[in-house]
Amino acid sequence: MKLKVYADRMSQPSRAVIIFCKVNVIDYEEIKVLISKGQHLTSEFAEINPMKRLPAIVDGRFKLFESHAILIYLACAFPGVADHWYPADVAKRSRIHSVLDWHHSNLRRGADTYVSNATIAPVVGRPLNPQAAAEAETLLSSSLSKLESFWLKDAGRFLLGGNQPSIADLSLVCEIMELEVLDEKDRARFLGPHKKVQRWIENTRSATNPHFDEVHEVCRH
Amino acid sequence: MKLKVYADRMSQPSRAVIIFCKVNGIDYEEIKVLISKGQHLTSEFAEINPMKRLPAIVDGGFKLFESHAILIYLACVFPGVADHWYPADVAKRSRIHSVLDWHHSNLRRGADTYVSNATIAHVAGRPLTPQAAAETETLLLSSLSKLESFWLKDDGCFLLGGNQPSIADLSLVCEIMELEVLDEKDRARLLGPHKKVLQWIESTRNATNPHFDEVHQVLMKVKERLQYQRLKAAKSEGGSDMKKPLLSRM
Repeated sequence: MKLKVYADRMSQPSRAVIIFCKVNVIDYEEIKVLISKGQHLTSEFAEINPMKRLPAIVDGRFKLFESHAILIYLACAFPGVADHWYPADVAKRSRIHSVLDWHHSNLRRGADTYVSNATIAPVVGRPLNPQAAAEAETLLSSSLSKLESFWLKDAGRFLLGGNQPSIADLSLVCEIMELEVLDEKDRARFLGPHKKVQRWIENTRSATNPHFDEVHEVCRH
Repeated sequence: MKLKVYADRMSQPSRAVIIFCKVNGIDYEEIKVLISKGQHLTSEFAEINPMKRLPAIVDGGFKLFESHAILIYLACVFPGVADHWYPADVAKRSRIHSVLDWHHSNLRRGADTYVSNATIAHVAGRPLTPQAAAETETLLLSSLSKLESFWLKDDGCFLLGGNQPSIADLSLVCEIMELEVLDEKDRARLLGPHKKVLQWIESTRNATNPHFDEVHQVLMKVKERLQYQRLKAAKSEGGSDMKKPLLSRM
């Protein structure tokens, strides 16, 4: 039975999982669950993931959600996935866990909240929650700074000094790609100062193309 | 060279790592870094963890931070750590990753924010405004409900139907213990409806005692002090001159 991946390509973590599958030639079926149409809130989808979040996978009878857990599972369970995605070496692997954990409360929270507020606000004619928007901006800025000064400080094209991408690169870059929906000046303001971050986004994109661009098409509309 | 664990026992993730080391007989040195005294903000500690957060470990030349990453590292690297803490089986292990990931944005965020808000209100000598209370309460309550109805739905004393604790049980229970510093009625209101959650806290405590209780002593002392202050404030009128407790930013 083929692996099923429940995803919405507008969701950053969904994109990371889809790109990973394509790059590693994992045989899977993508089942689109559109958040904008509330399809993640149906009782049908709750059978797959009671948390009603995306992405989620079903492998045989095994169900799993949370994109980092899924990426690790796929890296371990499918043969032919190169070691650099999720190294067997405990120290290297631990550093990947560390940046993936840091991501939740930093880049993910900052970017997601900022973009939500920035895109919803014009629709309703005012900032949804000015305080939350200001806090999100601070968090996003500081997260990008930490990427520039710490996670990308070592020689190497990827996070933690790697010369090949890991699941952490894929997860975090897909998050940053969400900033594509922002106004051009806004996006330049955030990313402009961070040269290493920009190069790293390009490196991750190059390493995973044409799949990266294909999966990100939805962001460009 | 002995493992060094930089921790503040007022920090929930620090407690999880310390208890894990003690239960598993891991030889380590605990280096106290007190958040309430700003010791996590020194340039000295920034050498250990540039993110200035706790806990952090140094194992020989290897530095690591983020408690989940640390717990996984310790489970893999130190011999004699029983399989149930972080199973070799890929499916079991993945479910543990899943709940640990869920924890970040749900229980951790809900509990941490709720307790911070409640203690700030206490220090300021006034109750939480209804709006502030509602906002911070929603995530905490929904997280506790999800624990009750999903993560603890299977047979077994522990998360995901386990009969023995994993690193996920330790991490999440240490988080819930933070609710001990709340007003008794508040805590009962939040936790009371969740019988499985209450049982699970006890199961985890029993499985890791006496270390669990010993590591939580600092927290329990803060709890006592706050209870005393609440009592004093309730007896006197206004209570505006009560001494501010020494509370860390957890």
